[in-house]
Parts: sequence; structure tokens; C-alpha cells
Amino acid sequence: MQTFRYDHLPTEISTVHVALYTDVENSAALRSRIVRASQLEGAEGDAEREAVNFAFIEARLICSVLHLQTAVYQALLAQAQGALRTKTVHSEILWALNPTNNITEAIRRYGVADASKSLIVVRIGSPDLEQGDVNEQMHKVVEGTLAPLDELSDITDWASIKKYYKLNGEAAVKAAAKDPAREQAIVNEIVTSSVAMKSVMG
Amino acid sequence: MATQAASPTIALIEHAEKISQGAEAKIYRVQLHPAGSSNDASPVATEHILLKYRFHKQYRHPTLDASLTKSRVAGEARALLKCVRSGVNVPGIRMVDAPEGVLGIEWIDGKSVRFLLGGGAEGEEGEEGEVDDDSTEDTAETEEDPLQEFSITQDSVMELIGTEIAKMHQADVIHGDLTTSNMMLRLEDKAVDLYVLERAFSSTHPQSEPLFAGVLRAYEKKMGKEWPAISRRLDDGESRSTARPSGTALMLCVSETARS
Repeated sequence: MQTFRYDHLPTEISTVHVALYTDVENSAALRSRIVRASQLEGAEGDAEREAVNFAFIEARLICSVLHLQTAVYQALLAQAQGALRTKTVHSEILWALNPTNNITEAIRRYGVADASKSLIVVRIGSPDLEQGDVNEQMHKVVEGTLAPLDELSDITDWASIKKYYKLNGEAAVKAAAKDPAREQAIVNEIVTSSVAMKSVMG
Repeated sequence: MATQAASPTIALIEHAEKISQGAEAKIYRVQLHPAGSSNDASPVATEHILLKYRFHKQYRHPTLDASLTKSRVAGEARALLKCVRSGVNVPGIRMVDAPEGVLGIEWIDGKSVRFLLGGGAEGEEGEEGEVDDDSTEDTAETEEDPLQEFSITQDSVMELIGTEIAKMHQADVIHGDLTTSNMMLRLEDKAVDLYVLERAFSSTHPQSEPLFAGVLRAYEKKMGKEWPAISRRLDDGESRSTARPSGTALMLCVSETARS
């Protein structure tokens, strides 16, 4: 797990905890738990929402740590400016990752799915929230293996990313078709840049 | 520590290193993402970015100013993304805060083509260097040819420029301010990258006609069947009347594997 501290952001959202889980075994249960938590009322609902107060991200659709950081950062900016398009800063990350403006589609594609095998779990909070506690809380809800973020490169599903971003006919991508490493670098750049400028996509 | 009230982007700028200031924008260099801390892994490497801050213009009505600034940031970001998707070598986009007038792009370490062609460094206006008039074969080596560092000839630089501009035009992107000051060469892993920046310094290269021919040859080759019509317009001199679009500020980079 990695923790990033943004000193120039408002205190309550200045700390970003990021963990990669592989071999996740409870994706279907986790997904229904999140859905249920959003519908529960009263104190029980609050407790459930707090228990799953993370962004659960389909790791195979993430090209690089920079790609993820870019989406997180744009969500943090939207939160700081009172300009969230979704309910929470966590769901805003999923919105930022999806190339279209459709929120349901963003959650379906980039959120946890029944078949998800690897997940990136993000928790945004104040510096008071300690890494150890976040770690513990994540372990309670995700049944999987905590892995270093560098392992992301083994998980990335470039074909799906190219499909969602409609990159198969794109000149830059076609030009590098024979060199997978170069093609991946180009796809990463297009996708990261797209996420960064999504607020002005038009 | 920033105060709660300040906009996050303005707070970020307060900690950034100012690179330059023009009438339209201020340029900064800053690290956007902090290095991560972890108990079980090495910290995530972070890169620097370039922030272009279109500050408030006191001479404009605030409402107009806000809307112009926002649309220019948006326009620049869209043009850049179009270039990235079309394979034109431009710096990637790293963050956009349109309400504050800030665009963050990949930091490019390099030297301007103006400088490399002997036109002097940015800001040194009036100091016109020598440019070799001879466009054939060997570039005669002046005492310290800055291009040597990049193991690339002047002719190759001209080709890179022509090819990249053609790619940009094929993507229907008009730069609006293409000068050699706005292009940079970067040497990275055996590859030479050439960039076009937005700032307009005077960039005169005396006796540069033969050089420009090299740009046009590469441009022609890349444009293919679209070339004859463009060539006709060039000859007619019609292209001179083209109005300069505002706000199209791009950084363009061209890359080529260095000949070893």
C-alpha cells in the first residue's frame, strides 16, 4: 500500500491511500455489499457505508500508476471546488477513468465487477487517517493478496483499454502496432491525457 | 501548508518554480504528485510537470475574463489531446483546472531549435547567430555546433519539423505560432525529440531559405496527395492572409531515432 500526501489540497482530502489486491475472491459479494450499503438507512447504513468507504477499481483497466494518480487528482480537484459529478470523491475517480459521461457505465466498467480478479482500492481522507488503520479496514472487506503497485504492469488488459478508448483505428496506435512496449506507452499517454482533460472534454 | 480557503491549484503554484512570464500566462515547473510512502514497497517515482497559468487580466471585464480563460484552457487541452491521439509528438496532459486557468503538461527537458540553429537562447533577442547557408551534405561545423550534442544534422532537424507539422495538420490542428523558439530537441534514450513551445520570442535565422526547403520536402512527403492543393496556395501567397487563431498554444515534439 502506498500513501500520497498532497499538502496543497484541503486537509480533509489531502491524503490518498492506494492498495493493489490480486487474486481477489469475494468480488461478487463485495459488489452486492456496496450496492446494499448505498440503500441501507439509519445507523446500520452509515456503518456499512463507512466499512466500504473506498474506491474499488478494476485494476486491469489501469495502464500505470500515473494514469491512476491523474484520475484521483482530478477527482480531488472536483471535490475541492464543489464540482463533483457523482455522489462521492471515490465514485468521482471511476467517473474520471471512464471515457464517456455516463456514470452508470463508469461504475460498471471501472468499478468492482462480479468477475474482478484484481482490484485497486483507494481511500481519500485527512492525514489523521493512518495507513495501518486503512490497511486493516481494507483487509476486512477485500479477500485477496496485497501486492506492490508495480505489479500493475502484469495485470493491465491493453486490449480492453484500447476498445473502451476507441484506439484501434487511431494513427498513433497503429503506427506502433509492431512494437508492444511502444504501443503500450502510447496508449498509456493517450489514456492518461484523456483522464487529465476530461473536465473540459466538451 | 496552504490555507483551506485558497484554491488547491493556486496553492500548488505558490510552491512552484516560475520559469517565465508572458502577457498571457505564467509558466511554472512543479512536482504534481508527491512521492508515495509505504511500509512494504519502494516509493513511486514522480515526474515534474509544466504548469501554464493564464492569470486574471485586470483590463478585462471579470465575467468575460473568466469565460475566455476557461475556453482557452479547454481549447488548448483539446488540441493537445487530438495531437496525442494522432501520433503528433506533444507533451501529455497531466492536469486541467479550467476555472483557475491552469493547464498542467508533461515536463520536457531540452533545448530550443532556435538555439540549436545558432539563433541564440530564448530571451536573447537581437543576438543573431550564424546559420550555415549550405544545405547540402555535410553541415560545415562552426566552432561549437550545439547540434553535435544530439548527433543530428540540421537537415534531419528540418525533416523532423516538416513531418511533425504535416501530422499535426492532418489531424486538423493549427498551431498558430510555429517558430523555432517554440520547438525543442530532447535527447532521451538514443532518441532525439523535437518540441514546439508556445512562447513567441523573435526567432530569426538569417539565410534560412535553404533550411526551410528541407522542412517543406518532409511536409510534402508526409501530406501525400493533400500536398498539391497546399502547394498552390503557398505559391499564391494566400496563406499569408490566414488569421491567427487565439489560444492555440501547443507544444509539439518530434522524435527520431538518433543515428549512431
